[in-house]
Amino acid sequence: MRVPIRIIRNRMINVEHLTKKYPGGVTAVSDVSFSVADGEVVGFLGPNGAGKTTTMRILSGYLSSTGGTVEVDGLDVSRNGLEVRSRIGYLPETCPLYTDMRVRDYLRYRAELKGVARRHRKSAIDRVLEECGLEGVRSKLIDHLSKGYRQRVGIADAMIHQPRLLILDEPTIGLDPNQIVEIRKLVKRLSRTHTVLISSHILSEIEATCDRVIVLKKGHILETASLSELEQRWFPGCDVRIEAKGDIEQVRSLLLNLDHVETLRINPNGEWLDIDMKFSGEPDPRESVYTCCKESNIPIRELHRVRHSLEEAFVNMTSGGGGV
Amino acid sequence: MKRLWVLWRREVAAMVVSPVAYILGAMFLVVMGVGFWFIASVRLINGATLYDFLRALYGGVAWLGVLMVVPVLTMRLFAEETKSGTLELLLTAPVRETEVVFAKFLGALTLYILFWVPTLAYFFLIHQALPEGITLDTGAIASTYLGLFLTGGFALSVGTLCSALTKHTLVACMCTFGLLLLWFLGGFLPAVSPIPAFRAMTEPFSPVLHVLQFSRGIVDTRPIVLYVASTFLLLSITIRVLESRRWRA
Repeated sequence: MRVPIRIIRNRMINVEHLTKKYPGGVTAVSDVSFSVADGEVVGFLGPNGAGKTTTMRILSGYLSSTGGTVEVDGLDVSRNGLEVRSRIGYLPETCPLYTDMRVRDYLRYRAELKGVARRHRKSAIDRVLEECGLEGVRSKLIDHLSKGYRQRVGIADAMIHQPRLLILDEPTIGLDPNQIVEIRKLVKRLSRTHTVLISSHILSEIEATCDRVIVLKKGHILETASLSELEQRWFPGCDVRIEAKGDIEQVRSLLLNLDHVETLRINPNGEWLDIDMKFSGEPDPRESVYTCCKESNIPIRELHRVRHSLEEAFVNMTSGGGGV
Repeated sequence: MKRLWVLWRREVAAMVVSPVAYILGAMFLVVMGVGFWFIASVRLINGATLYDFLRALYGGVAWLGVLMVVPVLTMRLFAEETKSGTLELLLTAPVRETEVVFAKFLGALTLYILFWVPTLAYFFLIHQALPEGITLDTGAIASTYLGLFLTGGFALSVGTLCSALTKHTLVACMCTFGLLLLWFLGGFLPAVSPIPAFRAMTEPFSPVLHVLQFSRGIVDTRPIVLYVASTFLLLSITIRVLESRRWRA
């Protein structure tokens, strides 16, 4: 008899009823609860002022909360600050660095500060230099590096002591498209060996790297879901786009006869018709659309299912639809 | 202790690679050198004693040096790190605020001591100029430098606190200078006050009198305790200011 194997993953982050009020009465985070499992890669999404950076700063021990509990790797952040900080690799939003130092010296200093033993220090520096693609600039002054390289130095610093959890606050902000691709690849590689909490405005980045997203708005959690769950929740059913040739009324009546059709929109485009259809329910309707058109001798040159991007879901959620 | 050593090394290295330290050091030595030349040529030639010289140089000119050096040495300690954001990097590493504050203070104190080291050459020059058989009172010289160390340490702790209270280095520099100037000028209160009771009350706190006392070779434990305790008190407040950032920031 086969015994089912159930993998139980520990909680790396456990946040319960977290609240942060700044002096002056501004509530940055209000009653936020979420957890991140060991090995998971979670994206933090939200418009500016949503409370992402505040939450990350509380997790990293830079800020104290005014309510609720925050645990990292089973340790309370407010009581075991030093121990928690040694288990976290944190990249702040602005990626501050000591620009008067050379890359290698900076990483050596940070390794010493984070308690990397002398005998492991050189190998730790070599490892992060290689993983972050910094070997070519190891002897350069940080002041002379491009923004992309500085970002890599920040990430190398965050991972030099082999932390169990990486918290990366907007790691691609201000980078050009090539640098964004490079950093995204790096984060993807890191996600194989670390638990990662990443915040970003670049939603495709979250889409490319994360298992799950947490969406914040005005200090509250709007959604906590996997990307596919999010898509199903915000874009239920199935959207299909067709380019076909034929009489507009004939095509309309034919397609409306299909099962589960919710909406149908046809726009003439020269001698072709651009057709957007929305179906309710789960079954993929493309086969039935194709069969229907084929049987009626309606030529088709395009038929595909429309995949909604995280951008659309994000706009939907944060622009009032699911607002708090 | 190990983290304190790592942080201290970084502080000293940051100051050593900065041109500000060299410009400041040069200016300090020019001020002290001119003061030495002036006092030596006027006083020693006219038959004044070593104690007169020490009193004139360290009770007078040295204050100019302290008021010039300390605000510049301390202004960047926290203000610059707050402004550039590296303080967030520092405080999210596994270090205690106490270690950070003491490392920064000791880093500035190290530079302050290094600035004073070349002035020891003055005594070599005086020694060369003295007639045969007359030796220098090394005890008085040592106590003078002890006084400079204690008052300098206190002044640096004022600067460290000011730097932790703002993110603008210029504001930190001006606040430190203003407070130290008040402290220095306040030291003349016992001398100018016509009220004996007020004089008696303010005398034990006068830094001007303390330095003059040290330059005469008198090592009194009261000013030592006063400066050490005040320095620790101000550094403790700095630690609290840094800790309060976790609620305020």
